[in-house]
Amino acid sequence: MADVLNVSKREALGTSNTRRLRNAGQIPAVLYGHGQDNVNLAIPAIEVESAIRQGTKVIDITGAVKDSVLINEVQWDPFGSEVLHVDLTRVSADEAVDVTLVVELRGDAPGLKQGGVVEHLVHEIEIQCPAGEIPDGLSVSVNELNLNESITAGEVEIPASATLVSPADQVIVQCTEPVEVTDEEEGAASVEPEVIGRKAEDEEEGGES
Amino acid sequence: MALMPKRVKHRKSQRGHIKGNATRGNRVVFGDYALQAMQGGWIKAQTIEAGRIAAQQYIRGEGKLYVRMFPHRSITSTPLETRMGKGKGEPEHWVATVKPGTIMYELSGVTEEQARVCFARLAHKMPVRVRFTRRRPA
Repeated sequence: MADVLNVSKREALGTSNTRRLRNAGQIPAVLYGHGQDNVNLAIPAIEVESAIRQGTKVIDITGAVKDSVLINEVQWDPFGSEVLHVDLTRVSADEAVDVTLVVELRGDAPGLKQGGVVEHLVHEIEIQCPAGEIPDGLSVSVNELNLNESITAGEVEIPASATLVSPADQVIVQCTEPVEVTDEEEGAASVEPEVIGRKAEDEEEGGES
Repeated sequence: MALMPKRVKHRKSQRGHIKGNATRGNRVVFGDYALQAMQGGWIKAQTIEAGRIAAQQYIRGEGKLYVRMFPHRSITSTPLETRMGKGKGEPEHWVATVKPGTIMYELSGVTEEQARVCFARLAHKMPVRVRFTRRRPA
């Protein structure tokens, strides 16, 4: 289900104005696509973060601009806690778009009881799908994942109208035997790393003299 | 054995300054939960190893731990009771440079509660302020 964001047009641009906007609880955004002009927008931070954390891709915007949009790119601060900027692309419901979806595991793998460890190697896969049918996320059942078995991207259930963009043989999750890391001998700790080019120089000097 | 590079271009490096926040290595990539540095600093190879052991002893093969930092920088020191001069000292240990925001360790295959306890044990070993974080939404 598409979320609804209340947007307002952003006239004052630049770093200081944008910073003021963020301090006031708004997030700067830009809307583009379909050959129309770019529009600079401001959206309440709570609404944006709620939509992003739910994994919603297609949202409706109301207020200054009314349209159906795809969240194309999200910029985060260096600590990954706050959204700095959002790119929105105009889409129609039947338009095919490439989206990256989160893959979640569900169930208990029998391989765990066999002494294995479930490794979730790939957390996101890319699919091409009509904008109106993009799911919030994909889930993979590991109820039949035994020891030394794996599930690939091609085996993940995706909507019937969607096609997989990521390689089909990409391993999403596997159950393997745990690897025990053994500590090496202490004596080796004093060994210095090899210096690139040092040996060649020494040989040259020796040859000249 | 503590981590160190296999090959280096130069044995010794200048001290440098840790400026700004991490713009790379600041996303949770491999696991579900992570320990993130909130301060900049040098983390010794022995400290990285101590953290890894503390975490491994808690998870005991149940989950998988990823170490996201590596000690690339050598730190030199002059021996005690040495007179001034005679050049820069010899490399003594290796450190990883972390900036605020750097993901230091990641954990997968465990519940959030287990990850929190595991990282709390690990955090005691770290010489910088750290926090628990999780994967960023796609």
